[in-house]
Amino acid sequence: MSDPGLPPGSAPTPQAPLGSDPEAYAPSVAGQLAFYQRAGGIITPLLTAVVAFLAGGLVVLSTGHNPLRTYKAIFEGAGLNWFFHFGNYHIDLPFTNHHIWFWWNTDTNLTAAYNLTQTLLTTTPLILTGLAVAFAFRCGLFNIGGQGQYLVGAIVGVYVGSRFTDMAHLPHVIFGLTAAALAGALWGSIAGFLKATVGAHEVITTIMLNWIAYWGGSYLFGRGGPLQNHANKAVPISDDVAPGAKLAAIWGNPHLQALHSGIFVALGALVVFYIVLNRTTLGYEVRAVGFNPEAARYGGISVARNFIIAMAISGLFAGLAGGLDILGWQFRLGVLDVQVSNIGFIGIAVALLGRNTAVGVGLAALLFGGLLTGTSTRSLDPNIFPPQLAGNLALMIQALVLLFVGADLLILYIWQARKKVRMPGLSRAADEAA
Amino acid sequence: MDEPPVLELRGITKQFPGVLANDHIDFDLRRGEVHALLGENGAGKSTLMSILYGLYTADSGQILLNGKPVSITSPKHAIELGIGMVHQHFMLIPVMTVTENIVLANEPVHLGVLLDESAAEKRVADVAKTFSFAVDPHARIQDITVGQQQRVEIMKALYRNADIVILDEPTAVLTPQEAAELFEILRTLTREGISIIFITHKLNEVLEIADRITVLRRGKQVETIPREGATEAGLARAMVGREVLLRVDKKPGQPGELLLKVEDLSVHDDRGLEAVRDVTFDVRAGEIVGIAGVDGNGQSELIDALTGLRKVTGGRISVGGQDLTHASARQALDAGMGHIPEDRQRRGLVLDFNLAENLALHDYGKEPFSRFGWLNPRRWLQWAGGLLKEFDVRGGGPATRGASLSGGNQQKVVIAREVSRDPSVLVAAQPTRGLDVGAIEFVHRRLVEQRDAGKAVLLVSLELEEILSLSDRILVLYEGRIVAEFPPDVSEEEVGIAMTGAGRGVEAA
Amino acid sequence: MSAMQYAARVREKWAGNVIIARVGLALGLFAFVVALPPFNAPVWVPVFVGFLAFAAGIWVLSRGMRRPGWTAIGFGIVGIGLGVLATRASTSNIDQVVVWSALLSATLVWATPLTYAAIGGLFCERSGIVNIGLEGMMLAGAFFAALGADKFGNWEMGLVCAAAAGAGFAAVHAVMCINLRADQVVSGFAINFLALGLTGYFFIDIYGENGTPGDLPRIPDVNINFLGSVFGHLNLMIWVSFALLIVAHITLFHTPVGLRIRSVGEHPRAADTVGISVYGTRYAAVILSGILAALGGAYLSIGYLGSFSENMTAGRGYIALAAVIFGNWRPFGAFAAALLFGGSTALSFRLQQPWPAPSVLFQALPYVLTLIAVAGVIGRSVPPAAAGRPYVKQ
Repeated sequence: MSDPGLPPGSAPTPQAPLGSDPEAYAPSVAGQLAFYQRAGGIITPLLTAVVAFLAGGLVVLSTGHNPLRTYKAIFEGAGLNWFFHFGNYHIDLPFTNHHIWFWWNTDTNLTAAYNLTQTLLTTTPLILTGLAVAFAFRCGLFNIGGQGQYLVGAIVGVYVGSRFTDMAHLPHVIFGLTAAALAGALWGSIAGFLKATVGAHEVITTIMLNWIAYWGGSYLFGRGGPLQNHANKAVPISDDVAPGAKLAAIWGNPHLQALHSGIFVALGALVVFYIVLNRTTLGYEVRAVGFNPEAARYGGISVARNFIIAMAISGLFAGLAGGLDILGWQFRLGVLDVQVSNIGFIGIAVALLGRNTAVGVGLAALLFGGLLTGTSTRSLDPNIFPPQLAGNLALMIQALVLLFVGADLLILYIWQARKKVRMPGLSRAADEAA
Repeated sequence: MDEPPVLELRGITKQFPGVLANDHIDFDLRRGEVHALLGENGAGKSTLMSILYGLYTADSGQILLNGKPVSITSPKHAIELGIGMVHQHFMLIPVMTVTENIVLANEPVHLGVLLDESAAEKRVADVAKTFSFAVDPHARIQDITVGQQQRVEIMKALYRNADIVILDEPTAVLTPQEAAELFEILRTLTREGISIIFITHKLNEVLEIADRITVLRRGKQVETIPREGATEAGLARAMVGREVLLRVDKKPGQPGELLLKVEDLSVHDDRGLEAVRDVTFDVRAGEIVGIAGVDGNGQSELIDALTGLRKVTGGRISVGGQDLTHASARQALDAGMGHIPEDRQRRGLVLDFNLAENLALHDYGKEPFSRFGWLNPRRWLQWAGGLLKEFDVRGGGPATRGASLSGGNQQKVVIAREVSRDPSVLVAAQPTRGLDVGAIEFVHRRLVEQRDAGKAVLLVSLELEEILSLSDRILVLYEGRIVAEFPPDVSEEEVGIAMTGAGRGVEAA
Repeated sequence: MSAMQYAARVREKWAGNVIIARVGLALGLFAFVVALPPFNAPVWVPVFVGFLAFAAGIWVLSRGMRRPGWTAIGFGIVGIGLGVLATRASTSNIDQVVVWSALLSATLVWATPLTYAAIGGLFCERSGIVNIGLEGMMLAGAFFAALGADKFGNWEMGLVCAAAAGAGFAAVHAVMCINLRADQVVSGFAINFLALGLTGYFFIDIYGENGTPGDLPRIPDVNINFLGSVFGHLNLMIWVSFALLIVAHITLFHTPVGLRIRSVGEHPRAADTVGISVYGTRYAAVILSGILAALGGAYLSIGYLGSFSENMTAGRGYIALAAVIFGNWRPFGAFAAALLFGGSTALSFRLQQPWPAPSVLFQALPYVLTLIAVAGVIGRSVPPAAAGRPYVKQ
């Protein structure tokens, strides 16, 4: 008996009964987060952060330390107490001998002021790595590769910064930052390209690219590596950035790691992020693809092209972060730096807590910057709480933030927002009967 | 026979938010009979069977098995009670073999832990022999034909000693020859004493295989009759019903130049099967051509091909003389094709965008919406506000999110967008699905308006009344082919018969 | 991925895999050729090329093509052997590298934690839950094994504590992914950070500056002298990993339990309609993966090194994930990939002395290979169909 038969391999699509495709009703990542934002506004992220800190406090308590004093010490270590001391001070205007009245004391010999500069130093790259993850999320993509893109940016940044020493200051800086950003964009677009062409899952590809950047950096600056510094062959570190390529310090003593002008670039990036997404046709396409790729396709938008562009822009932000750190305060990159760095990973928590918006990312970056600085060996008073413990505490709080962001459903249930806002896809039966 | 029916459903009622799926339905099944459950899409057949299979619980009513009341709590429970279901969309795992799929969750074991593969194969072979199936137990599901896959689904039920087998639209995925084979199998099953419930909307099949027929319409049971004496016309009338038609007032059409020309179009569906076969038709300016047909006969694929969303495997499409056979969606839209997609929430709108953004979904890249890639939100909102007012969209303004609007208003937004682009050909796919009367009226009026303004309108709909009241010409699509063309004053029964393939019979192998 | 794409790619896959098999053969030959004039490459080059031949062979084997796969591996071995012999005359450095028995033992040592985590990750993914958190579960196992062994005085309790810790972290992941339907990747990442922070915190709090005690109870080696230098003194955990491998394979492919797990991962609704508990099966698989990954970590701390240090797993969990993908979600495939990647790490340490740059290359190799694998530029990697999507019970 011969069946007229269909070609082998043409199986029916496995679908739910009653004819609905479960995949189609699952909202995109961007859509999900947009929903949470509407449903929870600013309250849910705030609540998430508070709960995470509370849980961290419990761990502190369980090991016999006082959580309140610990958090106060971290707060002071972050320099955030600087805002609470008002008085009659002044700021020196650059390029002149005048000064203007200011109500806070900006002298960085004062611990609080110094700590704050360090917090802002950390916030700068965090804003950018957070934007990197956020932009990709807006297009429905999960960019875990911020760390690799950051490293690639740093590597290119240190290369450009240490060569081309006969360039004038401003062009040299711009060249360095641009090269770093483009390197990051290239690294990101690899994953975007693979997703657009063969559908490779961006999570796996970006994780692999992270590690390839990690080992690539270790190779380049290791002993005998091609980019190892010329001065001392025993140290696995790069050449120093030329003085002409260093970013100007705007607050603090340049010899003691001052806050550099890169913070303006980071803040500018927040604005650029907002403008690109909300005021350009590119941003329109990216958002459409992120919310509903099907409808975007029906509207004539090329989903594949937007995947590549979104990952490239995402990488651009992260690469820029790497460039800023190198030209702003690191001035050199060693194998140890490459292997210890995790700014890119923290960007994930920043973006998720900040709900992928410009304002959210800015605030979340400040929070995490403060947390990291406040728990560092340099800033935390070891008599109140050992900094090594504090560093791990910071990690745990980040993890809890990630967990609770993921469990938004739980928080929403608690808030009874469920009754007011119904998301398509959560109630399958009603959708199917319609 | 005086024995009680093997299955009896009394007064089954099921309400979903906004829709009464089953309204006090009575149904009974005798041993060894094939009882067909007939009705259009949305009539309530699938819901009724899902209740029987334990996927839902009825709000009220009773189920009796062999005279004893039972409460079916889950599919597992239904299987234990001897009820087996062959779903329309198969519950088979493509990468696993036939044997693995059949014995899943009821595996024979060896030494308590190991899968006894030879015992499993033997049991499967036994079932196959009893019911005269021919199937390779080692084949993977993804490698066998759809007809064979369906047989595996049936064997799943038989392996678990089902007395009652429910088949949900089984021939929807079969070729005519496979359908004939299926009927042979069903006859064998009934000879062995198994009772069958056969859910379908195809009249010709019902008359061939059923012993009794129950017709459902809009959640209610219309009639239950034996096969003797049933006619296609009578069944079609029962399925479709006599209702007040929403006939739109319109002047007779004045067709002008040829705007949409489709020649020998062939398109494949997602499975690689031919969904549209050698379809040829034209639509002229100033006329509405309606394509009637039951869901799944190639309408979606036809529309996708016309609007540049699916590859064409043969034939030509041209709009206003321009060849669009291999155009992309953007090219088709730019060339004057307008598309009101059939699922406004998934395909027509980005629900998370506001109305202004949705209205610009096709043309955001052009003036006046943007210039050199830079959006102009103020102008956008102004223009959108005007458009929303013109199309009487209620529930919000240009800055309101798409998801906040009711279905009818969402559809108005989609129509506003398409119409305002001034396309030469407007393709409308199920434009009034899920809408209330007022919204339906609005949509119909707009379509006629477009036609009077000299556009070519192609209306594809599952609602026969809509097609009849709007179209200047009616085409019927069945199994991918245009099988009939009617003038607008044709009777419903005639169209209904053509839609269900009646008069063609089931081709023998 | 829709069924149509799946179907089309089945076709593609076979063609692609044949190409890989042939490439593997060619690489094996090339490994030998490259050691001869005019190339005269240093000895690590034939080893590297032969390595790629192994990779190609394992890849193809895991996708069901026996003969081409073993042939590629065979050519790789021969290529390396001949290539090394050819370079023997010209350099004395090779003796440092090519002490084959030491290299093989090192490979087994590095591969074992990967094997445990990979098999755990395999079961988890086969049931439909993506587990990026293997790294964290492994690290937790390493720490709590050391802690348990120290506080209770024996390695058995160390293992029990490790398993409990792994199960605990896995339970968090399971609740997040199954009940709360959170994004599985975010949850996995969170687990990694959480484990890193938690183990670091308690490590410093309990052990402070001095670290774990030097006399930490260790998992014993199994001494079977007649098995020679490589297999004669392997740690117990390594032997257990072999057994685990066989049990995993039999369970997954020859028992009802395995069939059900696989069905839940491929088509959860179909499994649900025949009465299998999708949630229950997934919970079990996730927790199993946590326990196994933790045992892998335990081997690192109380089996091999005899101590714990912060972040001692250093990314091995991610390599284990890569091994699962490379090995096509099959136990023997993942094991072979674990050997390959473990061998890569072992080689990189051996090569550090004379050739630091290629040593880093070998460290990066697992990731590069997996990237190519996932990109499916040639051949394809097809995960369980429902992996990553939360299941909503009606």
